[in-house]
Amino acid sequence: MNPIDPRIHQALDGEIPREALPPELRRVVERLASAAALLAATPEGRSVADRVLARLRRHARSPVRRLARWLTAPHPVTLRIRPVWSLALAATLVLLTLLPEERSALVLGEHEGIAQFVARFPGAHSVQVVGSFNDWRTGTIPLEDRDGDGVWRAVVVLPAGAHEYMFVVDDERWVPDYSANRFVQDDFGRENSVLIVRPVKG
Amino acid sequence: MRVALLLACVAAPLAGQSVRSRLEGRVPAAAIPVVDSLVRVAGREGLPTEPLVGKALEGGAKHVVPALIVRAVEARLDQLRNARALLLRGGDAPPATPAEVATVSGALRRGLPPPVVERVVGALPSEPRESALHAIADLVAHRLDADSSASLVIDAIHAGLRGGRLLDVSHAVLEEQQRGRTWAESFARVRDELPDVPPAPKPGEGTVQRARRPSSVSKAPTPP
Repeated sequence: MNPIDPRIHQALDGEIPREALPPELRRVVERLASAAALLAATPEGRSVADRVLARLRRHARSPVRRLARWLTAPHPVTLRIRPVWSLALAATLVLLTLLPEERSALVLGEHEGIAQFVARFPGAHSVQVVGSFNDWRTGTIPLEDRDGDGVWRAVVVLPAGAHEYMFVVDDERWVPDYSANRFVQDDFGRENSVLIVRPVKG
Repeated sequence: MRVALLLACVAAPLAGQSVRSRLEGRVPAAAIPVVDSLVRVAGREGLPTEPLVGKALEGGAKHVVPALIVRAVEARLDQLRNARALLLRGGDAPPATPAEVATVSGALRRGLPPPVVERVVGALPSEPRESALHAIADLVAHRLDADSSASLVIDAIHAGLRGGRLLDVSHAVLEEQQRGRTWAESFARVRDELPDVPPAPKPGEGTVQRARRPSSVSKAPTPP
């Protein structure tokens, strides 16, 4: 226990002048007076908690960094699934996968149109269409007879304009499209059918 | 100027090379040099070359003998020259565009008389005439009078119809005929309706496949 000299109290309270104190006591009184002045200079209304929070805010990360951290940090997720919805989702995905790709990816250009080829060849094993649009090459545009009634069909995207064409039946028989109503001599002793494709966006 | 000359010198052999590569394996070898030279001549004269290449490929696919292929390509070149001459007579400024030359050539091949084609060329100065000529050719193919058909289509042009809508005109006439009207009645009814002719039906729904010109494939044609 180190009791404070009563003269220090008296000097601090202004009851005796500081000059009346011995030098060592006067230094103590001056130190205590400057400490009291420093405490009096601290702004009011800012508690220790306020000052700590202010300092934390000053050091906080920017919103972008916080977002990046949130995006990259692992988060626990609880997923509750009803089996019936899972099965429905799986069935939808399977259907989307099985749908013909061409149909979903078909985007017509400005100078393209759709042509429909229909031909009746009962008993044929294969029918294809060849013409100026595929350099008269077989094996590129087959017609289909899905129900086996002898009527073969194909719906094709072609460049807009006039095209000459023929059907090739069973890879060997070249036949014009008699339903075309437009024909032109092929310069080889036969006739080509003529098809006019109108641009879809025209 | 030097750059243009350099490009022309480089482009010409490259174009020839691409024609040969398209023909090789698909056209009898004996016909290829002659067809190639005819294509070069057409290119030098500013005529479209694709109809000539197409004709040779068609002959090859149909297994036609080389002499006939060459003869057909020569005939095609003459048709293109005649078509260009007709275009110039009809008022087109030289040089006529290759696309219009091919269009007019196709119309003449479909049996349209040259004076009728010339009338259409004059009625549609500096515009595509393909649909107009096909509309007339469609009517002529049904044994309708070529001059009357041309007059109707030219009236439709004056009424503001263009492109595929001109094909609607010929379609409307043929529909009127199928209803039992004479050709004169059909023409008159459609003329009265101009420009509001009904549109021709579009192709029905179905699986659509995209046709491609398989120029990169060089498989030989299937023997008959």
